[in-house]
Amino acid sequence: MRRLLIVLLCLLAPALMAHEGMHMSAGPGLGASAAFDSHGRLYVVDAADGHVRLRHSDDDGRTLSAPVEVNTTAERIYDEGENRPKLAFGPHDEIYVSWSQPRTAPWTGFVRFARSLDGGEHFSAPLTVHHDRAEITHRFDALAVDGKGRIVIAWIDKRDVIAATAAGKPYLGAAVYYSWSDDGGASFVPERKLVDQSCECCRIALARTPDGQVAAFFRSIYGDNIRDHAYAVLRTDGQPSHAERATFSQWHIAGCPHHGPGLAIGNDGVRHAVWYEAKDKPSIHYGQLAPGHPPRHAQVLATAGASHADVAVHGNTVWVVWNQVDANGYRLMLRRSSDNGAHFDAAREIVRSAGAVGSPQLLEKQGRAFVAWNTAAGFRLIGPAR
Amino acid sequence: MKRLLLALALLLPGLATAGTLQPLAAGDIAALLKPPAQGERIIALWALDCAYCEPDLRALARLQRAHPDRIQLVVVSTDSIERRAAVEARLRRMQMDGYPNRAYADATPERLNFLLDPDWGGETPRVLVIRADGSRLGISGELTPAQLRRLP
Repeated sequence: MRRLLIVLLCLLAPALMAHEGMHMSAGPGLGASAAFDSHGRLYVVDAADGHVRLRHSDDDGRTLSAPVEVNTTAERIYDEGENRPKLAFGPHDEIYVSWSQPRTAPWTGFVRFARSLDGGEHFSAPLTVHHDRAEITHRFDALAVDGKGRIVIAWIDKRDVIAATAAGKPYLGAAVYYSWSDDGGASFVPERKLVDQSCECCRIALARTPDGQVAAFFRSIYGDNIRDHAYAVLRTDGQPSHAERATFSQWHIAGCPHHGPGLAIGNDGVRHAVWYEAKDKPSIHYGQLAPGHPPRHAQVLATAGASHADVAVHGNTVWVVWNQVDANGYRLMLRRSSDNGAHFDAAREIVRSAGAVGSPQLLEKQGRAFVAWNTAAGFRLIGPAR
Repeated sequence: MKRLLLALALLLPGLATAGTLQPLAAGDIAALLKPPAQGERIIALWALDCAYCEPDLRALARLQRAHPDRIQLVVVSTDSIERRAAVEARLRRMQMDGYPNRAYADATPERLNFLLDPDWGGETPRVLVIRADGSRLGISGELTPAQLRRLP
């Protein structure tokens, strides 16, 4: 009898221990955004303990200031994966911050915004950007400022898929909506729909065109779950915006890749884009968008283990960075082109991390490229990239 | 003593491998990928933030029940084991809690993705089929009926 009891206890032990749970440190999400203001001061936003927090650095990231809380009242904040607090500057270095706030039900969220007009010392009370207040998905916010100082915010929105499903109509994915502020972020105009049936959980890339408009590049859905990308200028003059298919990789996936693209537009108007697909194997592509047609100079820059690329351009120099994972952890990789994206140098490892990392972000300051990389060991600014 | 034994015996069924969420760490992956003695092991990778995963898991469960002697179904959440409560609640809701269930236990989840399958970028749902002859098949996205039929 006693032997049987011991056997039973031995069988129980691992299960009981498993219920104790692992005591790994959860830590904050690594979603962060960084940008230089017009004076070359670096700002970083991330989230901790229910607050979006802003830090700055006057020595290119070597030391960061004490954090300022953007939202004084704590709220839930999406700060993982494709969701991260966003940061942009107005024409007089006004600081604009946006984020997505999880609601109670899974996959729901509200897009939030706050501004500082005194260099980040104080922030306005956060406002909800969209006028729709249904407890549904409005998240994966993207933030940019156009040439006239308008603040443009785009996000993924599920109101149309919910309406279609209720009416028994088929609908793939979610819609992209956007809004803007004509008054420096005091208020936002009622949102407009950019496109229906787009991918439901990939970040939206925004970039400014040479004439000062804000353009979006995002993963859409074509036909039966072909998850290629679309490009659109987000019109703020009351005219409708038109999204056009801009990549033709033909990746079919009835699922969400959680893997949005990158976009940088040169002064010459060339739209430098990076995107991910895994039709055959995971691949990071580069191409120059020609909406309605396949991209020019299309090439695969990285394969297995590569993810979350970003792109920047200055003159004829184009930089692409991405995370490269293998059995030993992460490497931050760079490829550079000095002929405006026609050819790229071989991939170079810039730095490694054994711990978790966020998506890399390329920043430009006076024609030099830096990489913002938020890691479990802390925020890093690496560069200038050669 | 007899009463204690009875109590322990009653606890046991719920504590067997199936139905208990176990961590999946880098060191566990070789065993998970080892070809089964017969038939196939289907590793179904899913995530809390994946709306396509629930119908996919239900379809794989139906397939497993139709071929119980040759299909071993292992359900792996790519969410951290630290989200145990949320993962277990979702598994119960999806009626997947009767299968062997694992959740990622690694500070760098993308490294586990890579170790499981370097030709996978982490998209969910994902199935990885390991056959007794050592061959493998990986498919991302919700499986079509035709894809499901070809798995066993």
